[in-house]
Amino acid sequence: MTVFEISAPAAPAPRARDGLLLRLLRQPSAAVGLTLLVLIIAMAASANLVFPDDPLDMVTQPFLWPGEDAAYPLGTDMLGRDIASGIFHGARVSLLIGAVATLVSLVIGVGTGALSGYYGGRLDAVLMRVTELFQTIPPFLFALAIVAILQPSIPTITVAIGITAWPSLARLVRAEVLKLRHGELVQASIALGASDLRIIVLHILPNTLAPVIVSASILVASAILTESSLAFLGLGDPNVVSWGGMVGAGREVLRTDWYVATIPGLAIVTAVLALNLLGDGLNDALNPKEAAR
Amino acid sequence: MGFRGRWGTRAVLALTMSALAGSAWAEQAGGASPAAQQEPRRGGTLTAIIQPEPVILTAAINTAAPTGVVTGSIFDGLVDYDANLNPVPALAESWETSADGKTLTLHLRKGVKWHDGKPFTSADVKWTLEQVWKKIHPRNQATFAKVTSVDTPDDTTVVLNLSEPSVAILSSLNSNGAQVLPKHLYEGTDILNNPHNNKPVGTGPFVFKEWSRGNYIVLERNPDYWAKGKPYLDRIVYRVIPDAAARSAALEKGEVQYAVLSPVPLKDAERLAKLPNLRVTTQGYEWLSPWLFADFNVERPQLKDPKVRQALAQAIDRNTISKVVWFGFAKPADSPIPSTLTAFHDTSGITYPFDPKKAEALLDEAGYKRGADGVRFTLDIDYIPYGDDFKRTAEYLKQALKRIGVDANVRSQDTAAYTKRIYGDRDFDIAITWFAAFSDPQVGVNRAYGSGPIGKNIPWTNGSGYRNPQVDALIAATQGEADPKKRIQLFKDLQKVVLTDLPTLPLVELKFFTVEAANLKHPQPTGDQVYGSFRDFWFDDAKAADAKPADTKSN
Repeated sequence: MTVFEISAPAAPAPRARDGLLLRLLRQPSAAVGLTLLVLIIAMAASANLVFPDDPLDMVTQPFLWPGEDAAYPLGTDMLGRDIASGIFHGARVSLLIGAVATLVSLVIGVGTGALSGYYGGRLDAVLMRVTELFQTIPPFLFALAIVAILQPSIPTITVAIGITAWPSLARLVRAEVLKLRHGELVQASIALGASDLRIIVLHILPNTLAPVIVSASILVASAILTESSLAFLGLGDPNVVSWGGMVGAGREVLRTDWYVATIPGLAIVTAVLALNLLGDGLNDALNPKEAAR
Repeated sequence: MGFRGRWGTRAVLALTMSALAGSAWAEQAGGASPAAQQEPRRGGTLTAIIQPEPVILTAAINTAAPTGVVTGSIFDGLVDYDANLNPVPALAESWETSADGKTLTLHLRKGVKWHDGKPFTSADVKWTLEQVWKKIHPRNQATFAKVTSVDTPDDTTVVLNLSEPSVAILSSLNSNGAQVLPKHLYEGTDILNNPHNNKPVGTGPFVFKEWSRGNYIVLERNPDYWAKGKPYLDRIVYRVIPDAAARSAALEKGEVQYAVLSPVPLKDAERLAKLPNLRVTTQGYEWLSPWLFADFNVERPQLKDPKVRQALAQAIDRNTISKVVWFGFAKPADSPIPSTLTAFHDTSGITYPFDPKKAEALLDEAGYKRGADGVRFTLDIDYIPYGDDFKRTAEYLKQALKRIGVDANVRSQDTAAYTKRIYGDRDFDIAITWFAAFSDPQVGVNRAYGSGPIGKNIPWTNGSGYRNPQVDALIAATQGEADPKKRIQLFKDLQKVVLTDLPTLPLVELKFFTVEAANLKHPQPTGDQVYGSFRDFWFDDAKAADAKPADTKSN
């Protein structure tokens, strides 16, 4: 959550001094999103304390319905694995993949966009053609192909999601950089003899942060969804418990024991909803015009 | 700790039994007796599911299950197999083996015609045996290896001359084991690329009409079929429905009246069996006798020692695999020769009961003590990606091995990558797969132990990499032994050796099931009904018989 401090210079309006967190909490939807996300992060962080055993262990009889046995409040799946434990440990996997995949896209997307927008010309043309090439392939099918070729495991899934999700970020950053490139701040820096690297990193990128943060929060949500879809199609890492993998396993018994697929499905819905609400809230809170009102 | 303590085997048993009670499996299975009393009705279209879609429609060239299912109605077998796996006449009306076992004579039915009107003769059998079974067919190259020449004294007599007696031939002469192709359409052509492979011309009760890829395959009644008055149905439509839940719904709604090879999720089968308009049966798979097993890569340092393999065997509870992982559609296996092959099945008392403590002691003895982190060694588990049941088996194995301090990592991949990894690159530790044993273990079981094909990328052969000259000699002996008693003894000896060395660990005998409409009537299913024909099938209810199938053109 350190991004909050970094973003401060982006908004010159007087109300900015209130702090981002306060401005966020003033919006009900963002407050709900943030609360849900904090809860999910708390679940992930406490998974090893609350459920110290391996969530893949077959701990009791299969197909215990939620509430049937107090020891297993959310019931057990077809192999007798504790669903509550799976939800807690699955939160770690989902958040980890969401965060790391987004980081990968950020590095590629922001890098490409900044170089492309700052230098323009032939480099811009080449980088944008590459970006378009990536954009023409549906990102999910692309990720599916990558995971199918490399074997499904947490690192390959993360990388596959990361390297298929960056093109929109690159376009966004390029547009922002193009706006700033010929502005007075950058022209003044050039006149003072600052290096290109210094200008990009210190003057341009901080001023593009607001839209990037908003899209990053959405990217995390879509990364969680993509991982879930991959796991649902059987391309998850079978050695770790993930929400999508739980839904995929539960699909077989959907007609008889629907809770096996529904509970992790609700977890995915909650996480994605939280991130989207937060993204919306950040968009409003980081928008200087909104803040000044 | 864990499920042994908190969840006794008895509790699991009780649970499964109660789940099955009331679903009327046994009573409904077959549906034979009422049908026998009624007069079969003519007419009607039977819509069946074929899953996955076949890649080719000639089982003489490709023995994959879906091809066998569809071609069962297009091609007659030389024989069929009854529920006890005895051959019964089909294209061959009778047969006899000479006293020395070196001559097998088949007497073919007279007046049989191919679907294009040309007569079916002994020349077709001779040509297919020499050009297809002995050269192309995946299993028959071994089964018919001892055939030195084929004589055709007249149009309806085929004489197989053998270098040594070959008992297994008679157990592999049905439409799937030894499909006869029309010589006049294949001779002199590139057999593998002959267009008739996908527009098959057979002698069977139904004639191939149309194959719309990804949608359906249509067969129509053969009006000139040799069994007068049969078949009863006018038309068969095989629909391709890739999604298991959609298959389940189609059966439930009555859009589809027949589906083989466990077409719906196992848990759904219980639910469907309780519906009045459907019947679920595990009959018709006796000829397949499928069993699920784990191949240990015996070339890996940790798995080289038979003691380690025996230890791992004792860490695995086969009861749990059959009751929980396979929802009761399996039976614990204790030998590579399934118990359905009653004459051959014998463990000689060498069994590996579930005993994790013993397993740990064995591993300690073998020098694999638990490390500081509680782990003795690590290994990978690969599974054949044929569905969630196989994946769950791998997940169960991982957890079971973890209990004795073996850290396993489950890997998934597609079928092509799997077979290359196991049978080609040999880059694996434990691989889970299933084989059909067929009615003679020479056809289905020997292939798992003979050292010939190791590492040559021939799928469904010896995956463990086990080489034992004694076993190779036993396998060779079973192929040439004429005396059934001596041959059975050879198979018992073989089981004794491979159960001691344990290069592959038998897990469970699989029970496939068929879902069919209650108003679909037929006699007792044959032992190879899954690959058999709809010759004797009929609808007993006029409405169902006349109803058009969910229009095949629109989907």
